[in-house]
Amino acid sequence: MKSLAGLGHPALLAALFFAVVGVALSVAGALRERRDLADAGVRAIGATCAFTLLAGVSLLTALYAHDFSLDYVTSYSSRSLSSLFTFSALWGGMEGSLLFWTMLLTVFSTIALHQAKARNSRLVAWTAAVLGGIGIFFLLLLVMPADPFTRLAVVPADGQGLNPLLQSPGMVIHPPLLYTGFVGFSIPFAFAMAALLSGNLDDAWFTSTRRWTLFAWSALSIGIVLGGAWAYTELGWGGYWAWDPVENASFMPWLTATAFLHSVVIQEKRRMFKVWNVSLILLTYVLAVFGTFLTRSGILSSIHTFTQGPIGKWFLPFLALMLLGGITVIAARYESLRSTNRFDSLLSRESAFLANNVLFAAAALTVLWGTIYPVVAEVITGTRLSVGPPFFNAVFIPIGLALIGLTGLGPLVSWRRTSGKAFRRIVRVPLAAGAVVAIGLGLLGVHSTGALLAFSLCAFTAFAIAGEFARGSKTYRNRGHQWPSALNQTLLRNRRRYGGYVVHLGVVLIVIGFAGNAFKTERHALLEHGESMTVGSYTLTYERLDSSETPEKRIFRTTIDVSRGGSHVTTLHPERNFHIAQRQAQSEVTIRSTPVEDLYVVVTSIDQDGAAAVRAFVNPLTWWIWTGAGIMLLGISIVLLGNAPMSVAEPQPSKVREPAVVGAG
Amino acid sequence: MKRVLAFLLLALAMVVALGSSAIAAPEDVANSIATQVMSPYCPGVTLHDCPSDAAVKLRERITSWAEQGWDRDRIIAKLKDEFGPGIVAAPPKSGSGLFAWLLPLAAVLIGALLLWRLLARWTHPPEDGPPASVSAEDHRRVEAEMAKFRTSG
Repeated sequence: MKSLAGLGHPALLAALFFAVVGVALSVAGALRERRDLADAGVRAIGATCAFTLLAGVSLLTALYAHDFSLDYVTSYSSRSLSSLFTFSALWGGMEGSLLFWTMLLTVFSTIALHQAKARNSRLVAWTAAVLGGIGIFFLLLLVMPADPFTRLAVVPADGQGLNPLLQSPGMVIHPPLLYTGFVGFSIPFAFAMAALLSGNLDDAWFTSTRRWTLFAWSALSIGIVLGGAWAYTELGWGGYWAWDPVENASFMPWLTATAFLHSVVIQEKRRMFKVWNVSLILLTYVLAVFGTFLTRSGILSSIHTFTQGPIGKWFLPFLALMLLGGITVIAARYESLRSTNRFDSLLSRESAFLANNVLFAAAALTVLWGTIYPVVAEVITGTRLSVGPPFFNAVFIPIGLALIGLTGLGPLVSWRRTSGKAFRRIVRVPLAAGAVVAIGLGLLGVHSTGALLAFSLCAFTAFAIAGEFARGSKTYRNRGHQWPSALNQTLLRNRRRYGGYVVHLGVVLIVIGFAGNAFKTERHALLEHGESMTVGSYTLTYERLDSSETPEKRIFRTTIDVSRGGSHVTTLHPERNFHIAQRQAQSEVTIRSTPVEDLYVVVTSIDQDGAAAVRAFVNPLTWWIWTGAGIMLLGISIVLLGNAPMSVAEPQPSKVREPAVVGAG
Repeated sequence: MKRVLAFLLLALAMVVALGSSAIAAPEDVANSIATQVMSPYCPGVTLHDCPSDAAVKLRERITSWAEQGWDRDRIIAKLKDEFGPGIVAAPPKSGSGLFAWLLPLAAVLIGALLLWRLLARWTHPPEDGPPASVSAEDHRRVEAEMAKFRTSG
């Protein structure tokens, strides 16, 4: 393949030019209320998209052509890298990932603006101006401090290759999904800001973009889960979440976006919470950009290099501008956004959603605070403190458990008001289920208060959701449908509501998987050939070591026999490989996964005599995390398929009434 | 219903109170401590999660201390002496670390207080006015219609 790298930088400059033109035309169109100018602005954003895509294609051709005259290609690819991972090298480094982000941004902007063309031209013009403004920032990064087309003075014969940890199928999907989530939130953010700037303060901005919000939230959710799965299968420490700044960076906007998905239902149903909702979408987008800043400013290596990254000084003013600008326009429109409606009763779904929002906001603040506290403390006191998993677990788990409880409580109460008598009648079964599970597990020997509470709340919520399906299906049962058919009809009748419940059920299963972590067992041993170790109820015997070589790595493959109570269970083959280009050793984990527990085995080193250092874990219930994520995905699909195609066109009145959100019921 | 719930709660409390009296194996103690301290060799990663050889050796040293009968506090004190107070993965609940713990607590408490006040305000309509969910204009129109209905009857 011929490298088109020469086109890359000029394409980025052209994209930047059209973004500036697009913003200027859009602002002029909005201020002068000139439709022709606004339309020209939208077309200019389309041109920005075309040139950004050209830059992306240029970098891809350079990667596949092994054009090592480019610093980026040399740093993140090599001749021996497979085609799949050569493609993923596009976002494997900082400059490429920013280019990929900008490509997504301009593509999403073009689609959303094209869909919104029929709408109020001032709203669309301001939206184009906001999206174009964001585009200008990222394109400035790409043409100045983070240029992926920087040339090397001396062209090497081969590249350094992609980090072996990133050479995983999960890493081909995980970053694009996270970026899709982060960038996807720019659409509702831009429409919200445009609504405030244009003074069109009806519900148009969120009814127009709720599909985008759900799309972005879904991508971010799946991306986060895939990140956990990648950590679990690649990093070799037996876990899936470490509360490090990179993980937190994706989790914070997810928390505020989830709060938004719920609170926007109250705006739809009751015309309340307008200020809160625009604030949440502002916060979500700011946190998404903040996450990009955290992950691309050197914080990966050490949190104390916070402001020393090459692009950190560019991000901070941009973040400040968005945050302060957003707060200013919300403050300016505050009186117009205030609601005169009130709640009818404390015992209502509105109250449950409000409590849910308080907890999500507190959770997001907690994660943000824990992430930045080491820097804050060092600046203020000069003392270097660590804020790691023990802190996050201590403060987040109680909030998370309360949220699971509310997930179950929400469907049990009606909109506007629920009588105490009706509530007591409906809450009986879920409450009893929760108590029975806690007592049963306690009698079986589970004495961890946190785990008992988690399992109990999961049972409560699962029964509450099941009750909703049972009550929903009753009508069809009365008409003579069998249970499967009645359930199917219930689901089809209101996909948004029941799809949301399926998502909640997936979350319950994920929490069950998390709770299983309380019973994790781990052992470490240096095994000679024929020696054994035990972990949990398993006996692991090191039988054989085989070695082979590929152009990329030297492979050392062990054979470990697994038995339990004298009976053979399985044979595992964890590897310890040496990546030639990177001169880096890397372990390949093997996992025997069942719904009860995972047996997780990793070889951390192999000495000259062939003795293997084996680290083995028994992780109870981890299987349910991935199953729960699959069920969440199913629920998301049900919700997304239950609506018209993703569109920002004027919604039909009948559709306006139905919230297109998770947990809309 | 109340009696059943009371019984279930009592049984639950007893189950939790019974607790576990099992003594943890030294390696379990060491693994648990490794999740509570940061690795001196991998920035931003706990000792448990750090893959470096030096981290493996430090985990083995912690296991040997646990095998010698050292308790958790003594092992952590030893690690703090050797690597500084920053090795502990959670900020201290005093001095400069206290604020880290207070803010999340304050966020939840302030959130709960705000929630309570909002709900109290929104669920109690003004004493001399129409119910909160009906605007003054709607209320006036309903009253006018009702008056018209009564007179026509």
